[in-house]
Amino acid sequence: MVLWVIIIVVIVLAIVFFAYYNRFARLSQQIDNSLSQIGVQLKKRVDLVPNLISSVKGYMKHESAAIKTVTDARKALVSAEGIEKKMRAGNKLQSALKSIFALAENYPNLKANENFLQLQQELSSIEDKVAYARQYYNDGIMSYNIMTKTVPGMWFASIYGFKEREYLKISEAEKAVPKVEF
Amino acid sequence: MERVSFYDEIARNKRNSFFLLTFVFIVLLLLTYVIGLAVGGDYFFIILVFGTIISILYVVGGYYNSHKLAIASVSGKLADGSQYHQYHNIVEGLSLASGVPKPKLYVMNNPQINAFASGRNPENAVICVTTGALENLSKQELEGVLAHEMSHIANYDIRFMTLTAILVGMISIIAQIFLRSLWYGGGRGSSNDKDGAIWMVVGIALAILAPIVVALVQLAISRKREYAADSSAVKFMRTPTGLINALKKIGGNKPMKVSGAVAPLFIANPSKTKELFMTHPPLEKRIARLERM
Repeated sequence: MVLWVIIIVVIVLAIVFFAYYNRFARLSQQIDNSLSQIGVQLKKRVDLVPNLISSVKGYMKHESAAIKTVTDARKALVSAEGIEKKMRAGNKLQSALKSIFALAENYPNLKANENFLQLQQELSSIEDKVAYARQYYNDGIMSYNIMTKTVPGMWFASIYGFKEREYLKISEAEKAVPKVEF
Repeated sequence: MERVSFYDEIARNKRNSFFLLTFVFIVLLLLTYVIGLAVGGDYFFIILVFGTIISILYVVGGYYNSHKLAIASVSGKLADGSQYHQYHNIVEGLSLASGVPKPKLYVMNNPQINAFASGRNPENAVICVTTGALENLSKQELEGVLAHEMSHIANYDIRFMTLTAILVGMISIIAQIFLRSLWYGGGRGSSNDKDGAIWMVVGIALAILAPIVVALVQLAISRKREYAADSSAVKFMRTPTGLINALKKIGGNKPMKVSGAVAPLFIANPSKTKELFMTHPPLEKRIARLERM
């Protein structure tokens, strides 16, 4: 009788231990995955910029400064290391692109260009996707951190060595539309 | 007014739905048991075996093909990536926000604004929108509608609704077979003992009532699920504005003709009926809830 009780308790404990390990592991996986999704979208943005520049160049002859900002921002993003720096560089590139799109308002021929319009739409959807992936990343961090701070997750976190993780802190201000000087 | 946290809302809806599904299942068991007793001892075992085999085949078949059936019943067409650029882009963004793989996208030819999701799990999910929704909704509104559909996928509502639809269908098939069989030499064998006659009466009453009661319960589940999907849509988009405006526009829809089996899947009632018989809560109530978030 006593033996059975012990066996059942051991089995239940083992299940609980496994379940909590899996929950932590799954959340970490989700967090890492959304991080790599952000990288994928930033890479797409990098790849689209040369196409945009070549389609814009012919029309915007007097805006070489704005175009140079974009190519510089692209170079900075390519060489950026680590997700925080990449996100920052990505935001800079996005604002540089926005000033190009704002300037494009002055060029009716460019605005009628099918290729340009498609690139514009594509780049703005990438902006949405980066924001969504970031949001999912932070959602994941939130559930993960709540688990590491509440009972009983807290105990398991210390047993397995899962530590609290950092939110992506990129201020919204950096995403704001830049000043366009004429 | 008290603000409703969307995490609480989702948890509560999941709990309620589980109880309702259990209820449907108990009715199903009760019905088969009473029919077995009513028809009589000799046949009881045979009925049970055949009933079980047919039920399993029916459930498995329906489960694996539900999304194809739903798309076929509205004659939806696969949405081409280059033609429906925005539609694809929005869904890709939402799949990043929800962690759900991108579902297959379909378009159905209809001037009304509506959309539905179906499938057995997120990996095999489909979303279908009307051409009316693509033409009349702004980007933000379309995003709200699609976020609602993605929530149905992320919350496993699509599997849940598929299973309930199958179980409800099964109850009405069993009831129909039983009632019809009574016309052909029903009272054979054990009719001289009192118990058989009583069970027969109970069986008939149950066969008539069970499909109605269960259908009403199914509709109640469906309405609950809509509130939950609205909540998670707000969680994905971080703002209720798009969905609120889309629902207001949907309020101007004319009734649509769709099969009763797919009606609960749509974002808003395809046709207009009394609330008890509705697959969805009234738009005004949904808008009011969204405005509180």
